[in-house]
Amino acid sequence: MQTVKRVATGIPGLDAMLNGGFLPRTANLVEGAPGTGKSTLGMQYIYEGARRDEPGIILTFEEFPEQYYRDAAAFGWDFRELERQNKLKIIMSSPEVTKADLENVEGTIQNLIAEMGAQRMLIDSITHFEGLRQDPVELRKLMYGYLNALKRQDLTLILTRESTHLFGEGLEGQLDASIQFLADTYIMLRYVEIESAVQRAIVVLKMRGSAHDSTIRQFEINAQGLKVLQAFEGQEGVLSGSPKRMTESFMKAFVRR
Amino acid sequence: MRREDLTARVMKDMDPELFDFVTTYVDSFVKWDLLRFFHENPHTMDTGENIARYAGRTAEDVQTELQDLTRRGLLVEMPVENMRVYMLKTDPEIRTRLQQFAEATQDREFRRKVIYHMVRH
Repeated sequence: MQTVKRVATGIPGLDAMLNGGFLPRTANLVEGAPGTGKSTLGMQYIYEGARRDEPGIILTFEEFPEQYYRDAAAFGWDFRELERQNKLKIIMSSPEVTKADLENVEGTIQNLIAEMGAQRMLIDSITHFEGLRQDPVELRKLMYGYLNALKRQDLTLILTRESTHLFGEGLEGQLDASIQFLADTYIMLRYVEIESAVQRAIVVLKMRGSAHDSTIRQFEINAQGLKVLQAFEGQEGVLSGSPKRMTESFMKAFVRR
Repeated sequence: MRREDLTARVMKDMDPELFDFVTTYVDSFVKWDLLRFFHENPHTMDTGENIARYAGRTAEDVQTELQDLTRRGLLVEMPVENMRVYMLKTDPEIRTRLQQFAEATQDREFRRKVIYHMVRH
């Protein structure tokens, strides 16, 4: 059987959850509340690509490139230098302009992808697409066309999406159903409160065409970036934001075997 | 002393390449803001309205200046669908000059000279 080459994120622990990394030419959604680490995860993915000589593009609709340079520098990733080496480009634009540009045969983004040999892209964030169409069906069509145009360029994408709820599931907005359907992988980042301390949780809810680890794991953001840690053991309702300890009998029956 | 003479005296010890850049592109505070914006965000590709929002200016103010900077060769204007999209020219020489200008503006004395130049305009 032929093994498909994976696109590694370089995030300790996450690649193992993804069975080696993302599948090539896929759109992978990372959803979470502000500050959970969506952009950091995306930047780490782009940085790993540059390290492996797989150039990447960050398409930002909200943060100024300066913010990425500064945030990346805090982890020791020199994004300005990567731009000089043509391994990274941070494009600031808007959904309507990039959508129209991608529909042009000789569009600026397509030319840039070809010129750099870009293989990875971070779109931060797709929440801004919601303003483009009122009708959910139209919005889904638009997103489908947009993502396909990028996949056709051989890109493996990370799309971030903001959840307004700090804790718990709280999915809302027109994009929910559409984007979860369109994304090949759906990674959720959550804050959880355990014994009066806020921790971060990560779960891969879906990965089309691949096996994956579906346990809910802790993760931290340290001086090197994101690091996925152990699973939350003995807790239930982690995604609700306020997990409870499992009963001893449940533990005996299902966990401590 | 006439105002023109004073300005000429203030500008005379400026680096000739910077002097050329300032006299070609910087004749208003809006343009100055736009130059700083494109220096910090060199791969921006957006409409005048959105650029105005990012730069904290009104769309009317910015639109005229974007067109002017395009005419003067610093920016490129592209029609994308029914929108006019602006980008910084990829010419390395222009980007180097912009970098030099941005670095020079960290010096108070240089900023004072640029303001003299704009006032004269």
